[in-house]
Order: sequence, then structure tokens, then C-alpha cells
Amino acid sequence: MTSIALKSFVGLRQSSPEKNPHFTTTTQAKPLTFTVQNPRKLRVVAGKFSPKVAGRNLRVAVIGGGPAGGSAAETLVKGGIETILIERKLDNCKPCGGAIPLCMVGEFDLPLDIIDRKVTKMKMISPSNVAVDIGQTLKPHEYIGMVRREVLDSYLRDRAKENGATVINGLFLKMDMPKEENSPYVLHFTEYDGKVGGVGVRKTLEVDAVIGADGANSRVAKSIGAGDYEYAIAFQERVKIPDDKMVYYENLAEMYVGDDVSPDFYGWVFPKCDHVAVGTGTVTHKGDIKKFQLATRNRAKDKILGGKIIRVEAHPIPEHPRPRRLAGRVALVGDAAGYVTKCSGEGIYFAAKSGRMCAEAIVEGSEKGKRMVNEGDLRKYLEKWDKTYWPTYKVLDVLQKVFYRSNPAREAFVEMCADEYVQKMTFDSYLYKRVVPGNPLDDLKLAVNTIGSLIRANALRREMEKLSV
Amino acid sequence: MASIAISASLQRAYSSYHIAKKQQPQPKLARSLGTKQASTNAVTLKVEGQTSLGVTEQVQDKSGSRIDELGNAENTAKDGAETESSGMKFTDQRWKNGIWDLNMFVKDGKVNWDGLIVAEATRRKFLELFPEAATNQDPVLFKSSIIPWWAWLKRSYLPEAELLNGRAAMVGFFIAYAVDALTGLDVVGQTGSFICKAGVFATVVGVILFRRTKDFDNLKKLADEATLYDKQWQSSWQDQKEKKV
Ligand SMILES: Cc1cc2nc3c(=O)[nH]c(=O)nc-3n(C[C@H](O)[C@H](O)[C@H](O)COP(=O)(O)OP(=O)(O)OC[C@H]3O[C@@H](n4cnc5c(N)ncnc54)[C@H](O)[C@@H]3O)c2cc1C
Repeated sequence: MTSIALKSFVGLRQSSPEKNPHFTTTTQAKPLTFTVQNPRKLRVVAGKFSPKVAGRNLRVAVIGGGPAGGSAAETLVKGGIETILIERKLDNCKPCGGAIPLCMVGEFDLPLDIIDRKVTKMKMISPSNVAVDIGQTLKPHEYIGMVRREVLDSYLRDRAKENGATVINGLFLKMDMPKEENSPYVLHFTEYDGKVGGVGVRKTLEVDAVIGADGANSRVAKSIGAGDYEYAIAFQERVKIPDDKMVYYENLAEMYVGDDVSPDFYGWVFPKCDHVAVGTGTVTHKGDIKKFQLATRNRAKDKILGGKIIRVEAHPIPEHPRPRRLAGRVALVGDAAGYVTKCSGEGIYFAAKSGRMCAEAIVEGSEKGKRMVNEGDLRKYLEKWDKTYWPTYKVLDVLQKVFYRSNPAREAFVEMCADEYVQKMTFDSYLYKRVVPGNPLDDLKLAVNTIGSLIRANALRREMEKLSV
Repeated sequence: MASIAISASLQRAYSSYHIAKKQQPQPKLARSLGTKQASTNAVTLKVEGQTSLGVTEQVQDKSGSRIDELGNAENTAKDGAETESSGMKFTDQRWKNGIWDLNMFVKDGKVNWDGLIVAEATRRKFLELFPEAATNQDPVLFKSSIIPWWAWLKRSYLPEAELLNGRAAMVGFFIAYAVDALTGLDVVGQTGSFICKAGVFATVVGVILFRRTKDFDNLKKLADEATLYDKQWQSSWQDQKEKKV
């Protein structure tokens, strides 16, 4: 039925000549009035008096139906915008650890039954196998949610659909840029009718603005020349382990650090619905990823003994935002923009959040779909995003640089994590994405302790170097 | 770099165990994982082909081919790495139940901390070469913090310790708070003391590196590295500025 909706929709758009004159007149009128002014001023003025969209509401396409796309579409459609979401695979099971912070459940109103597991114990394991449970300060109602991505993604998409968004099962191919100000973008895509193995039908669609939420290999980013980012490769195996072994992972996740499991990230064992996900990632030594994966498996060996690998997956994780996240009326969100944190490799919440924030900027800029939007309106989203989250990204980048860089640093890191104050701060900032200001005395103590740990670990390192010579 | 040399020499030292272990039957996990591996790979490849639906772009291509290689390479890689950790376990009669037995380090009625430092360094070295599985049965309980500070100092870590404790802690801490104060309530409100901590950590590392590599080139590299991330973030705004001009 989506295809029917689409057909009538495309037809309407193409055979509605009365709208085109509307656009042409406005675009012609403007240069006349403002030709001599500088372009910057022109934009501001145009923003204030951006033309009304006549006879319909603003029409926005969301490319990609992951957490970024799903939440963007929901916010758009609730804000009175005609929303079309294009997802290439509706039962997509994105390779992902699936850990989400507690605040996401509340902020996105997620029903509890899509959360497979509530993790309350997080073990950090150092290169010399010192294990620290960093979940000791959690309050009874606090947990890290573990979701299956196919469940979460389709839930968010369906909710957008229930609110009136059109969901198309199609592969976005490219888009034609508007030749004149305020004229539509033409999207080219292949629509699938749901039959497996069907080749699909090529179609086009005209929209006023585009949100690119199509993940790390974003085609939308490519079409606007957004540039590339550094990426980490993450590798993950789903391992079905015997029931008696699963008991241990009931509500516990493990993070392994060490040169053996990854030179610049961590290896993990996350509990899933009925199995565990064992994985690792790296930016600097991508060619060795299999070696690291094996090392991760070996470190968890006793606990996953007898396990069967039921699925192997690999996927890039962006390291930083793309040089351009915005061009004209096209904005990137989620992995397409590059919003994964360093250190923890977290991206689901940030994808959903950025999708929503971008959609809010469009809703606001268009006065609930009544007016045309422009780059200035979309830029509000970037401004707000960077203002809200840049410090978080920066801090995690610094932490990763300091603590994931060498084995002594990792030993110090794990030692530090045994500290209750650190645990509280870490979990508060992870679970709620806000930081309660610390207590200066505790901060000082922490600073001294951290320095102590680093010195000790480095001293031991030098001792280790002496051993060989 | 240094560690590579070490690993080579230690490898030799332990090679007799190593070979002996190799011939023993592989642990059960390795086998069951190994056999499953081959079949899963074939399946995965197909899935991968479907999910990408022709979206084989640069990055995906790479990851895809890596999975591809896995089929052939996995077995060899497995052999190599599996033996590395196949039951090689650190043993030392002074290491008991995940902790150094301090009684065994007593010399003239006093704990020989130097000996303990060397013993722990040896253990860590061993684990770097032969990573061990972390088990719940025998957890590691030893903490380097039980070694008193003067024991580290005595082993001629004095200059660094003094420098770090004194200069870095102070400088770092005040810089962090100064940054906080200077940048205004906004940053304080948003990041609270985490920014301070990050500042402290950055300073400490800066000082360690500075002491080690006194040459300018490395410092510059450090500065570049420290600011790279900021630059990457700011590029979306430069874009706009250019347009404005
Ligand atoms: C192994 C691994 C483990 C991870 N673990 C965690 C974790 O535990 N916690 C966490 O928070 N984050 C984790 N992440 C990061 C997280 O997966 C991403 O940040 C998050 O999925 C980003 O969401 P998104 O909506 O931006 O993109 P995606 O989830 O990648 O969604 C993009 C969607 O767009 C669709 N699409 C792509 N191209 C097209 C096209 N041309 N036409 C139509 N549709 C298209 C795709 O099918 C997909 O559904 C992990 C990542 C990896 C690789």
C-alpha cells in the first residue's frame, strides 16, 4: 500500500502545474529586489520572508530508517510536515552492540518490552586481567538497556508511520540539486515491493528538503559533497553460549582493554536476547581486526566456552563529523554526519537525538510546514547540536587519547574505574547525558589518584622494558 | 618498539613450553568455534551481499572483503593466535590466588618492595606476550597501589614522580579550573567538572610526553593531535564563514 500512496503522490506532484508558477515567481522576484546586496544578507532576508508553500505542506524526505531516520520522521510528521522515509531494508539488522543509555528510554518513550536486557554490571578488564565492576554505584532503577536493532529501528519507524509518515521500502540512489532557489530536490530511488529477490522499480520523488540518515556509507553525504571521515572498523560475532554460561551474562557486560584486543579501542562481550555479542574495533590497525577479535574471544574464553557463532558482522564506525554536515536544504544526521563518541563508541542515542533535533529545526523554520525552509533554518540544528554535545565528544576524545593508548595507561584507567566517584560520574554522564557538577575536593583527590595510577603503571612499564635488555 | 625486541627474546625463553602446548589437543572452545566458523562464513557473505543491495561503497567494500578473507585466513590466524594463549598460564610460587603473597617477599623482616615491583612487571610482561583468559574462578586481586610511594621513589622514579605530582597536578588542576572560569558559566553548566578532569589528564600526559621527548617536533605533533579533533568539528563552520565572505 505504500507503493500506491507513493504513486498517487508522485502523480500529484508531477501533474500539478499550478505550483510551479508559484515557485518561479518568487525566485524571479527576489534577484530583482536584492541583486546588489551581498549573498549573506540576502539569505537572512529570504529567511524571514521565505515563501509560503501553497496548497500543501512542506515535503521532506528522510533517507535511512535507523534510529536517526526513524526519530527524524516522527518529529517531522508530528510537526505537520509531509514526511517520506526511504529505507532499503525494512528488516535490517544493523551490526551493533545495541547498548542504549537510560535517558533514551524516557526521552523517546520506548516501551520496556523492546529492551531485551537491563545491564547493571559493567566489567572493565585490564591487560593484566584486573577486573573492576563499574556498576556498583547504580541505583536500583538504573540500567543500560540492550536492544536488538531490528526491533528498535522498526519500532521507531512504525511510530512515524502511525503518525502519518509514508514509509517506502527503497534504495536511494542519487538526487538532482535544485537549479533555482526554492525549487525541489529530485530524488532517484529503486522501490522494492517486498518480494525477496525482486529487482525493484526506479522512481523519482520531488521534495523540499532532505534529511540524510543513511548511516556510515551515506549516499546523501556523497551527493552533497560532504567529504569523508576517518572511521573505525568494528567486528562482531554473535555467539550462542550454553545456558549455564549465559547466567553469568544475565545482566552483565564486559569490556576488555589491552594491546591484544585493540590498539585503540576495547573488546566487548554484550548480552543479547538469547546470546552474547563478542566484538572489537580499531581505527589504526584495520588489517589486524581478525587477530584482535580472536584475542577478545580468547580473553573471554572460559565464559563463552562451547559457544557457537551464529552470525559474523562488520561495519564502519565514524570517528568524527564530516567536513560538511549541511548544504542548502539537505542536512546529515546520525552516522551519516559522524556522531559517534570516541572512547565508548556510542551512536544510537546520538543518532536518534540528532534526527529529532534536525527535524525540530525544520518544523520551526517552516512554521509547521507552512513555509519554505532554507539553509539558515537547518543551520540552527547544527548550532544547537554543537553547543549541546561538543564538550561531550571532546572529553571522550581526550579520554580515549589518554587511556586507550598503551597498556600502562589502560591499567591506570581500570584502576581509576574502581573508584566510586569515577563510577558515579561516568554512569551519570552516560545514562543521563548530563553531568552533575563534581565536588572540587573529590576532583582533586581523583586528579591525584589518577596521576598516581599513571605513574605506577609507567614505572612498571619501564621495569618491563628493563627485563628484556 | 622496545616491546617487540622483548617479545622476541622472551618468546625464545618460553619456546619450550610453547611447543609442548601446541601439540596438545586444542581446548574445546577452539574446536567448536572453529568448525562453526567455516559454515557461518558462507552464510554471512550472502547476507552481506543482500543487505548492501548494491551499496558497495568504499568502506563497506573493505569490510565486506575482510569478512570474505576471513574464510581462508581465519584458520591460519586461529592457529597462530590460539596457540599463543592456549593454556600458557603465568605461574610463580609467590603468586597465589590472584595476588602476590607478601610473606614471600619479606627480606630481613621487611617487605622487599623492589622485588615485588619486578615480579609484577614480569607478570605483566608475560601477559602481554601470552594474554590469558580472564576467569571468574581466579580473579586478579593484586593492586599496584599497595606498594608504598617511597618504594617507587627509591627505584629512582623520584624525578618523574616529583615533577608529576608537584608540577603537573598543580598546573593541570589550576589550568582546568581557569579554563572553566574563563569560558564562562556555559561550559561549567554543560560539562561540570568533567572538563576539569579532562584538562588534568591532558596536562599530565602532556608533561609525561614533554619530559620524555624534549624535542620540538614531537611537541608540535602532540599539539596537532590535540587539536585535530577540534578542527574536524569546526570545519562545518568554516564552510559557512567562507560563504559569508
Ligand atoms: C559493531 C558495532 C557495535 C556498536 N555498538 C553500539 C552500542 O552498543 N551502542 C551504541 O549506542 N552504538 C553502537 N554502535 C554505533 C551505532 O550502531 C550507530 O551509531 C547507529 O546505528 C547510527 O544510527 P543511524 O540511524 O545514524 O545509522 P544506521 O543505523 O546505520 O542506519 C542507516 C539506515 O539507512 C539505511 N540506508 C543506508 N543507505 C541507504 C540508501 N541508499 N537508501 C535507503 N536506505 C539506506 C540502512 O539500511 C540503515 O537502516 C555500534 C556500531 C557497530 C558497527
